[in-house]
Amino acid sequence: MTDKVKVRIDGEVIAATAGQTILEVARAHDKYIPALCYMEGLSAVGACRLCMVEVSGVARLLPACTTPVQEGLAVATTSPQIQSYRKMVIELLLVERNHVCAVCVSSGHCELQTLAQDHGVTHVRYPYNYPRLSVDTTHPRYVLDHNRCVLCSRCVRTCAEIEGAHVWDIAGRGIHSRLVSELQRPWGEATSCTSCGKCVQACPTGAMAEKGWGVEEMTKQRAGVSRLTSMREGQ
Amino acid sequence: MTTGSVSPPPHHEDQDLIDRIIGDQVGRPGALLGILEKLQDRNRNKYLPMETLEYVAARTGVPQSQVYAVATFFALFNLDPQGTHTVAICRGTACHTRGSRALLERVKLQLGLREASDDADKLTLTTPDRRLTIRTVACFGQCALAPVVEIDHAIRGHVKEQALMREVDALRKESAR
Repeated sequence: MTDKVKVRIDGEVIAATAGQTILEVARAHDKYIPALCYMEGLSAVGACRLCMVEVSGVARLLPACTTPVQEGLAVATTSPQIQSYRKMVIELLLVERNHVCAVCVSSGHCELQTLAQDHGVTHVRYPYNYPRLSVDTTHPRYVLDHNRCVLCSRCVRTCAEIEGAHVWDIAGRGIHSRLVSELQRPWGEATSCTSCGKCVQACPTGAMAEKGWGVEEMTKQRAGVSRLTSMREGQ
Repeated sequence: MTTGSVSPPPHHEDQDLIDRIIGDQVGRPGALLGILEKLQDRNRNKYLPMETLEYVAARTGVPQSQVYAVATFFALFNLDPQGTHTVAICRGTACHTRGSRALLERVKLQLGLREASDDADKLTLTTPDRRLTIRTVACFGQCALAPVVEIDHAIRGHVKEQALMREVDALRKESAR
């Protein structure tokens, strides 16, 4: 898998390794492609649809996080169409749950909030769902607030792939999807949970947080979680 | 996690059966779906009790959360006991325009059933005596026969309110005996 390929990202010719995804190549060369469900060190699921890019010769947009590069591939990371598409995705994410930045521990350090600001989402065009959701405070150190969950499944993958406990999964389908621990047991009663807290660090929003922090106080160490995978490689 | 002792399912007489079903399927890709389907089919009330899900997870090594995710993703699986008879009312577009909502409301009224919340993914209501389960289906693919109702796996087309009421009353009386 050491085949070198040449790809063109936003006009610039870049040497990449076959098997890498468009997103990996772009990020390695300081090309910005937004993404929410992608996290370095975890498998890619292509769930958030924010990393959609134009690939020449392909009529539809493709997710950069799951599309491998090929020789001669030409990618546009941004265009008016992509921008409006991404904006819509962010608006729909905001509509689906009850995101109230003013009272959120992660305000100022939230990936969803940052994306909304970067894409100029000042308001949403769709009616809010206002679902009635619970907050799980049963764990002694952490808290899970479904109101702020974007179902990116980073916690699910962090727990399953890095910690190996697989406490989390996403139950139900469509708009009724919910993050669950074990058989929908309260987090504090989940016997497979090692309380390592990596899911909390991987969470892009304030859905998972450490207890004891006030509004805007919860900063997360995502790089630390990603580093675990790179440190394990070659072992 | 599979650590510690594996707690047996609630009905000990079922344990052999459950173990056999798991044994037949385990190791094959996608085995979990087949196991859950067979277990639900063999269950007296056509559902998957939490204890069974826990037991399946422990025996197969599939994480509990994944078993639960599969059991809740597919509309086929029931996590609550089902009635002896099932009436499935189609809520597809064709049936909707031919008045399937009125059929559903009428049956619910007749049986005194109410939705627990509007939040439910699929509508499945069972009478307290577990004789009848009312559920909705997205589409049977029999749109020319709209509105369609399936009673105990038999499709009825062009269903009228009164005819449906007669059927439902007959089912209630039959299982009362």
